[in-house]
Amino acid sequence: MDHFEVFGLPRRLRIDEADLQRRFYKLARRHHPDFQAQAAPDEQARALEASAGVNAAYRALRHPIARIEYLVRLEEGRETKEGATVKPKAPPVLLEEMFEIQEALAEAKAGGLTDEVRATLSAQRERLIARYRDEEARLQGPLAEGWDVAAPAERPARLAALKEALATRAYLRTVVDDLGAALGDTDGRFTADGEIEGRDRHVAHHRH
Amino acid sequence: MAYSEKVVDHYNNPRNVGSFAKETPGVGTGLVGAPECGDVMKLQIRVNVETGVIEDAKFKTFGCGSAIASSSLATEWLKGKSVDEAAKIKNTDIVNELKLPPVKIHCSVLAEDAIKAALTDYREKHASAPAGTTAR
Repeated sequence: MDHFEVFGLPRRLRIDEADLQRRFYKLARRHHPDFQAQAAPDEQARALEASAGVNAAYRALRHPIARIEYLVRLEEGRETKEGATVKPKAPPVLLEEMFEIQEALAEAKAGGLTDEVRATLSAQRERLIARYRDEEARLQGPLAEGWDVAAPAERPARLAALKEALATRAYLRTVVDDLGAALGDTDGRFTADGEIEGRDRHVAHHRH
Repeated sequence: MAYSEKVVDHYNNPRNVGSFAKETPGVGTGLVGAPECGDVMKLQIRVNVETGVIEDAKFKTFGCGSAIASSSLATEWLKGKSVDEAAKIKNTDIVNELKLPPVKIHCSVLAEDAIKAALTDYREKHASAPAGTTAR
């Protein structure tokens, strides 16, 4: 059973979050170990497993971007079985741009961060944050809708568009974080809202 | 997670860091990235267009220690190889040499992709040049 099926939902990206929360509470209550205290041990074990499954499903679907990432993994898993995996690729132009920004940042760091350089990098970071936000809006808006309304034959193309936007978002986050680290910008403004998961993953990666 | 000695060595003393001008004759450039972690890797080869042998290789990687080590090692291995031999380098060779743990295997995949991209770029620019296989 996939995480959508746990809640009896179709594989769609635009979900009524209040409705999802109601479904979650209902299932969580049903399988809660406290309500299974009188049940046989093997039933208690099953309830515990179901409870963990419901929690995992809610975590995967709750945040709109995490939901898209999950859908991509889910759809790719199916593709893998058919032997047709396509690696997520960012547009080459973006890759070049990210490389140039990183290179300029490395040079700026090596040359010492003068106030002028700091101002330039800071302004660049602001622009990149704005693009990151745009990409998230595009993912949650038109691209999510595009997937939801797509006929089966259109789905591979819609999925590819989602993957490309996710890749773009990931690259933008990396350079924004790297610029932030270089500037000593630790006010957490960028990473504060809903970025905790991504930030943890990033930190776990031990970039230097 | 602890890095292997070889990874640390390549990270502290990366070999062949730098770049060639893209349009120099004999130069092939591969620019690849891993969206999951935001790494970008540029790997370049400079091939002797007469013999098809890779005379020099350079890289620049913005990413984790394993990505840097994988590309650094790749440039070492590329030098002196023919274009055809270079195409046989596999990510598993890099994994074995650097003792990369499973979570870092994607770094070696990235390095293999970079090699392939550089070779493709070279071949596209030098369609008629020899690939450096055994003398005919």
